[in-house]
Amino acid sequence: MNNDPSKNSLAIVLLSINSVRFPAPGIHLFLRALFFATGLCLHAWILADDPASPLVEKPTFTSEQIEFFESRIRPLLVQHCYECHSTDAIKLQAGLYVDSREGLLKGGESGAAVELGKPEKSLLIAAVKYDGYEMPPSRKLEAKEIEALTRWVEMGAPWPEVTSAPGSTKMEGKQDWSQFDWEAARQSHWAWKPIECPAAPPEFAASAGSIVNPIDGFVIAGRAQVGLREAPPASLHILARRIYIDLLGIPPTPDQLHAFIQAASKDRAMAIRSLIDELLASPLYGQRWGRYWLDVARFSDGRGGFLEGDKPLEDAWKYRDWVVNALNSDHPVNDFLRLQIAGDLTGNYSDAIATGFFALGPIYQSDGGDPDSIAQSRAETLDDRVDVLTRGLLGVTGSCARCHDHKFDPIPQQDYYSLAGIFHNSATQSLPLAPRDVVERYNAYKKAVDELNKKIKSAKKKPNKSKEEESTAERNSDTAEEPSPIAQWERELAELEKNAPPALDSAHALQDTGSEDMKIALRGNLLKTGEIAPRRFLRILAGAEPVVFRNGSGRAELAEAIVDPRNPLTARVFVNRIWRHHFGEGLVRTPSNFGTLGEKPTHPELLDWLASEFVRQGWSLKALHRTIMNSATYQLGSDYNETSSQSDGENRYLWRMSPRRMDVEAWRDSLLSVTGELDPSLGGPSLDNIIDSKRRSLYAKVSRNGDVFHSDRFLRLFDFPLMRATVEQRPSSVVPQQYLFLMNSRFIMDRSKALVEHLHRISHSDIDRIRQVYNILFSRPPDAREEEIGTNFLSAVRDGGSLSNWERYAQVLLGSNEFMFVR
Amino acid sequence: MFHRNPFQTIDRRDALRQLGAGFGTLGLAAMLAPSKPSLAAVPSEAAMNLNSPLAPKVPHFAPKAKHVIQLFMPGGPSQVDTFDFKPEIAKHAGERPELVDRKSLRNTKMGLMPSPYSFKQYGACGKFVSEIFPHVAEWVDDICFIHSMHTDTPEHASAMMMMNAGHLQPTRPSVGSWLVYGLGTENQDLPGFVAMSPRAQPRNKLANWGNAFLPGAYTGTYVNIHEMQPTQIMQDLKNTWLPKLDQRQQADLLTRLNQIDLERQRYDPQLEASIQTMEMAFRMQFAVPDAFDTSDESKETLEMYGDSEYAKGCLLARRLVERGVRMVQLSHSIDGYDIAWDTGHNDIVNGHRKLAEACDQGIAALLKDLKQRGLLEETLVVWGGEFGRAPTSEGQKGRDHDHYGFTTWMAGGGVKGGISFGATDEFGLTAVENRVHVHDLHATILYLMGLDHERLTYRYSGRDYRLTDVHGRVVHEIIA
Repeated sequence: MNNDPSKNSLAIVLLSINSVRFPAPGIHLFLRALFFATGLCLHAWILADDPASPLVEKPTFTSEQIEFFESRIRPLLVQHCYECHSTDAIKLQAGLYVDSREGLLKGGESGAAVELGKPEKSLLIAAVKYDGYEMPPSRKLEAKEIEALTRWVEMGAPWPEVTSAPGSTKMEGKQDWSQFDWEAARQSHWAWKPIECPAAPPEFAASAGSIVNPIDGFVIAGRAQVGLREAPPASLHILARRIYIDLLGIPPTPDQLHAFIQAASKDRAMAIRSLIDELLASPLYGQRWGRYWLDVARFSDGRGGFLEGDKPLEDAWKYRDWVVNALNSDHPVNDFLRLQIAGDLTGNYSDAIATGFFALGPIYQSDGGDPDSIAQSRAETLDDRVDVLTRGLLGVTGSCARCHDHKFDPIPQQDYYSLAGIFHNSATQSLPLAPRDVVERYNAYKKAVDELNKKIKSAKKKPNKSKEEESTAERNSDTAEEPSPIAQWERELAELEKNAPPALDSAHALQDTGSEDMKIALRGNLLKTGEIAPRRFLRILAGAEPVVFRNGSGRAELAEAIVDPRNPLTARVFVNRIWRHHFGEGLVRTPSNFGTLGEKPTHPELLDWLASEFVRQGWSLKALHRTIMNSATYQLGSDYNETSSQSDGENRYLWRMSPRRMDVEAWRDSLLSVTGELDPSLGGPSLDNIIDSKRRSLYAKVSRNGDVFHSDRFLRLFDFPLMRATVEQRPSSVVPQQYLFLMNSRFIMDRSKALVEHLHRISHSDIDRIRQVYNILFSRPPDAREEEIGTNFLSAVRDGGSLSNWERYAQVLLGSNEFMFVR
Repeated sequence: MFHRNPFQTIDRRDALRQLGAGFGTLGLAAMLAPSKPSLAAVPSEAAMNLNSPLAPKVPHFAPKAKHVIQLFMPGGPSQVDTFDFKPEIAKHAGERPELVDRKSLRNTKMGLMPSPYSFKQYGACGKFVSEIFPHVAEWVDDICFIHSMHTDTPEHASAMMMMNAGHLQPTRPSVGSWLVYGLGTENQDLPGFVAMSPRAQPRNKLANWGNAFLPGAYTGTYVNIHEMQPTQIMQDLKNTWLPKLDQRQQADLLTRLNQIDLERQRYDPQLEASIQTMEMAFRMQFAVPDAFDTSDESKETLEMYGDSEYAKGCLLARRLVERGVRMVQLSHSIDGYDIAWDTGHNDIVNGHRKLAEACDQGIAALLKDLKQRGLLEETLVVWGGEFGRAPTSEGQKGRDHDHYGFTTWMAGGGVKGGISFGATDEFGLTAVENRVHVHDLHATILYLMGLDHERLTYRYSGRDYRLTDVHGRVVHEIIA
């Protein structure tokens, strides 16, 4: 028997759960999930006594455990033990290898170094405690380090799986990538594997849940495994509000709501289907969904402060409008991505706007001219490009390979510089948006004007040399017969300007500047370089010998590699982002990290089915929306359920629709919409102070650091993220400053007044207005209690303040949770 | 099993605690918690009930200090003209010994320039201090001078980011944001982190007190001392439409309607948090102006601080930590300059004297005031710039930037008083003895506040970030 009391007590807890038949089968599952999730891999630990347990043979560790190992344990082993106990050791001591888990379990001359889960029986721990052995011999480890090792053994010695993959000795000291087995590595992690369209899941009995399309099949299959029951379908009121806010970012008007409910009472599925179609055709759709993409693109209007030259990006809005238009016209997503990487190379000049995806990123500068700082700024700028490319489009943390090989994913440092090299040859410029001949004509004109101006200027300057010369010149000009050349030039200039071609529109865009490979920057320092990094795609995606990019910077070839249907990541990452915006969480809950440290998909087959379907339907985003939103899964109610919530509080099995707080854009747009004030017009330059405008929040001017414009201040208050790096997901925080805004701001006061005016126009009695306002704001009628509360508040006599009772009441309703949430 | 309400979702931490988790430590569990950003420390009972991101949290270990006041000196004050006395310079005036023949930003080729100021010994410790800091000099027995600071760049903007956020580019959370993230704050009616300066904001502005990728709740609230009006410290602090009582009725109505909604949603914890937060905001409207209104200070106190704008900031800093604010960053500025001490390029004589005069008395008064009120023990005061200035001259009377060595001093909050730690070379250019990098300073500040800089992490873009990145060593030698 083992003597560890803490282990016993936990074992008892688990045993009792296993032996007592709980009414809710979810609890067991929940506890299992709990222990896995907290990094305390209880099963592996308890079962470690049983040598036959498959969990000991083939342990699975959470990414958190692996990270604990990588951040706390491996560095210790490398620093203090490898010299004598690794494959790199000049002379191996005591036959012990500590550079692999197997080595530690097998042990050396004195037997196993580690007994899983039993630090007190592990020689490794005894040795570092200087109990019997004294390791490392030079000095005893710090108490904190010993404690970490002890914990690690307790956890069952988590070690990354990739080390046991065939041909892989990754992260064991310096990796020889030329010998690396890329094919084996590709098979070792789900996200590197090709997308395989799975067969639709088996049919289920009607009692298991409703099936409208294959999505429901996969989700029901997942829930069935764990015995979770789905919530009932959402009511029509809730569903209408959900669909409107989801697709357009504003709630339905009472008329729209009424029409939908009428139609749905005849044919629910048909009414939902046509509503989705109708809203997808609205230009408001692109304004809503374009904003999601702008988060990925870390879109801002510039002014990033001293370290970024403090320049405004005057034309940034053109990229924003390009995105909105692309979504409204259902531009195929593969081409949508292709243009953002290499739109300047298509020959169609307006496509260059799309490269704003990169060109609008930060350009770091040095604040004084120190060579180290200049190199550092350049490195940081390139890093932004690689980061938005790899995390934004591929869900891979490529930037982690900037200073050394990626510590968790098979991305050599060389691969980072293969990608960085592409941007090293791409300059960010203000590109004229016109056909070539027009640009040439304009440039010729500009050149002629500049030359004349220069001549005139310098001729006018000359006489100033001395008083004497000046007076001579004056006399000369007074008496001269022939006209002064200055006058002649001025006439020419006037003539030119009279026939001036119209000024050229421009956009921030990329442009090729060369075709030169970068060298690896040792420890990320561009001034200390290593071997050359040919421009090409990531080897984990393109194989051991990817095609080398030779065409200019290589962006056109990069674009093809990104959207190549054989690339397993682009479509998966994209559909996952769309799923996330419909459900609050993605099927992969780390949307910009599909690597080994990211989360695994909750529904891997569904993810692959969606990705295949997406590609099959010609990368049509609108088709994807239809597929998702017409599913019964999307149309589930959001009702809380204690039992289900205890088993799956995070709703990973999609037993209900998760209620969500609106993002700041949808919330502000909805406030303007319910008061009838929203200006839905499309496009144009960004607005410094969105809060004084009636236009959609999408058109707010946003600075890189969120500290320049009035718009920034408002947006940042409600979790608008910093547009410095591609945004994986927005936080949703509740802070008092938000309530100060709700209680005291001019904006809310104005909306309350507008709402009250509107109510008084359409209705004549308080009770009717109360009913109307509930319909407008919450898409439902009030219940008796709410009517009573409203009536009482409105009829109270008040002595102070400059607001009417109705204005006070309206302000409270606009600030309510129900208004802010989508259910 | 459910001690709060019967419908609330049980979370992992709850479950672990309620199972009487006898294994490992909860700190580990918190650190390894998946998907959600890992909290620095396990929240206290109060914090869990409050459900607020700003609620006080239990530190990693017993703290020496509870608050930080950073007296930030942007632009780079010259160490050899303030606190790092180097008589050898005068002996070699005009020379350029090998020791100082290092690249500075402009790579000047000029020789050593003696300090134009006289130095005198003060206190029981006999510390030499320049004539431009006569008031601070009276407190040397409470001060720990670190003369061996060094940083990575001689450029203002990047070095300021290093000092205030631990990274050369403005992409990381500030020190104060990390502290509030790790510890919460003690007064829920005030912001947890306040940044102040007279007139000009320090270069990089918000990035000096920004939350970057940490949740918005951890950002610093900026107050411009010059334009300050207590009722307008924060945006929308004052309700100009309704008297307090009427506003209360509105708040009650909102709570009632939200309660009904909460019932309908079966006590979704997310909704519950927002009701508490609204109440917090209601109280803030009155607590914040009160904290910033100095009219209740005695005449003696006001005279002790003097009437400079920086001194007013010092007084406000005391009022804020007294009320439980976690960190105050008070940046120096005169003449609307965002890197004030950089006038040292042209003219140390007048430039530094003027800057010191504008802050010396206020800083000394702050130390005295904190000490008198018993607050100095729990408040760590940190003085310094982003780097220092070279002992050689640039032009006639000025000095260029020096990131190889400079001085930062600390007082209170668990550091030893009356000591000088580390040293620059005999001319004051390069830190040569017991070198302390900015990362080490940060590790030490976190340590004094009860946080392990290696365990205070936040998951962002696929990895766990730290204030000290992969660096940092706690300078145990200076801890009392």
